[in-house]
Amino acid sequence: MTPSRRDVFAALLAVAAAKRAGAADDAIAIPGKRSMLLHNDRPEDLETPVSYYDSWLTPTSSFYVRQHIPRPAPIDPAAYRLTVNGLVSKPLELTLADLQRLPQQTVPATLECAGNGRGFYRPQVPGIQWGRGAIGNAEWSGPRVSDVLALAGVAPTAKFLEADGADSPAGGAPDFVRSMPLQKALDPATLLALRMNGQPIPDIHGFPARLIASGWVGASFVKWVTRLSPAAARHNGFFMNPAYRYPKYGVPPGGAANPADLEPIEGMPVKSTITAPEDQSKMTLGSAATVRGFAWAGEEAIERVDVSTDGGSTWRAAKLSEPKLRFAWRLWQLDWKPAEPGYYSILSRATDSAGRVQPVVAQWNPSGYLWNAIDRIGVSVEKQS
Amino acid sequence: MTGRVLLIASVFAANALCADGLLERGEKEEARSCVACHSLRIVHSQRLAQSAWGRELDKMAGWGTKIADREALLAYLTANFGNDKPAPAPVTTKDAAAR
Repeated sequence: MTPSRRDVFAALLAVAAAKRAGAADDAIAIPGKRSMLLHNDRPEDLETPVSYYDSWLTPTSSFYVRQHIPRPAPIDPAAYRLTVNGLVSKPLELTLADLQRLPQQTVPATLECAGNGRGFYRPQVPGIQWGRGAIGNAEWSGPRVSDVLALAGVAPTAKFLEADGADSPAGGAPDFVRSMPLQKALDPATLLALRMNGQPIPDIHGFPARLIASGWVGASFVKWVTRLSPAAARHNGFFMNPAYRYPKYGVPPGGAANPADLEPIEGMPVKSTITAPEDQSKMTLGSAATVRGFAWAGEEAIERVDVSTDGGSTWRAAKLSEPKLRFAWRLWQLDWKPAEPGYYSILSRATDSAGRVQPVVAQWNPSGYLWNAIDRIGVSVEKQS
Repeated sequence: MTGRVLLIASVFAANALCADGLLERGEKEEARSCVACHSLRIVHSQRLAQSAWGRELDKMAGWGTKIADREALLAYLTANFGNDKPAPAPVTTKDAAAR
């Protein structure tokens, strides 16, 4: 059948549209970042491909990015001010130099988005469909939040610390304001970081100051911090309630949680991720592979990682990197030389210093948070032809 | 009687035409109401049931988004990005790391 002029015209339009779409994808480059999995460009939501994870510290050039609202205009370090107000004896405005003059601490800590792995939940839930790469491990340096607050004097009635950044939403969308119990804010591992992996924090990660709530959910790591306010009660804005809350009691997949049973996410669960071999890759019989990955456990330390290359029938302990620290991940590896051809399901299962073990099934929840099921990849081992 | 059947048939036909127009209207509504605050990738990368899309629209409306043609937008999202559709292929950014 001869295509009508109309069909030809439609086909031409489709090709032109596909070209435009391709050109748009090609054109998106995020300064300072390697090629990242793009979930959104305005604001930026970028995932790290698992093949990039080959070092204990994640370089900032491949560190994932989660922006809730567009980032603020670049902050002039000379004009920057941090307001400390609320339940304090002496409200303050601090300069960047004031913060740099306080004792500087360094904490290596893993930063993970609450929604890392959301894309694996079934039924699907709304939100960024992250795979394995909404996580990174960095060395954060700056004054302790407790030292910053001590300058202003926290009132005994304060029970929480509220933090706000320089980012502000469009229209009537909620501002990204977070709060944490004062006890966590005063923990020696809670910092107002000015540096990430030894360099001033890049703009996209919160220049000049980012809250580091070691071991806690990524949403607590407020970027571009411009205000710290001790308060009597937890902030109740959208990003504290209902966002970043997890049902206290299990919900059937696809069900609804009772709002009264939703609790703020704080410390992160125990989890491991396989970074090599690549999922669904092939290898030749007779060759050897190293099964590799990382494991972390929120405020705990990783005690052990077990790996199965037979779908979970048998497990072997992986070799773990040193040091063993709270807050920071450990790399792990296991040499593997399959004896027969075929398809292999490789699993990793982490155990932490509190005795928590990764579950076989991640608990489905309406917002798709805290995916931490035993990780799983597949590899085909083929005879040399 | 025949006239009534014809009338009903023509109503169905009109509805079918409207259904086509509905999705086009929905796409236009998306371009009008969503992109002021964010690009559309975050929408198009999701695969949700109609009820879940409806809750997303309610959330955005609650934040001040003026959705003039909610019915069309909901139909468009469900038809194109419903949970019966396959997941989209991953998209990557261009390498822009400093060397």
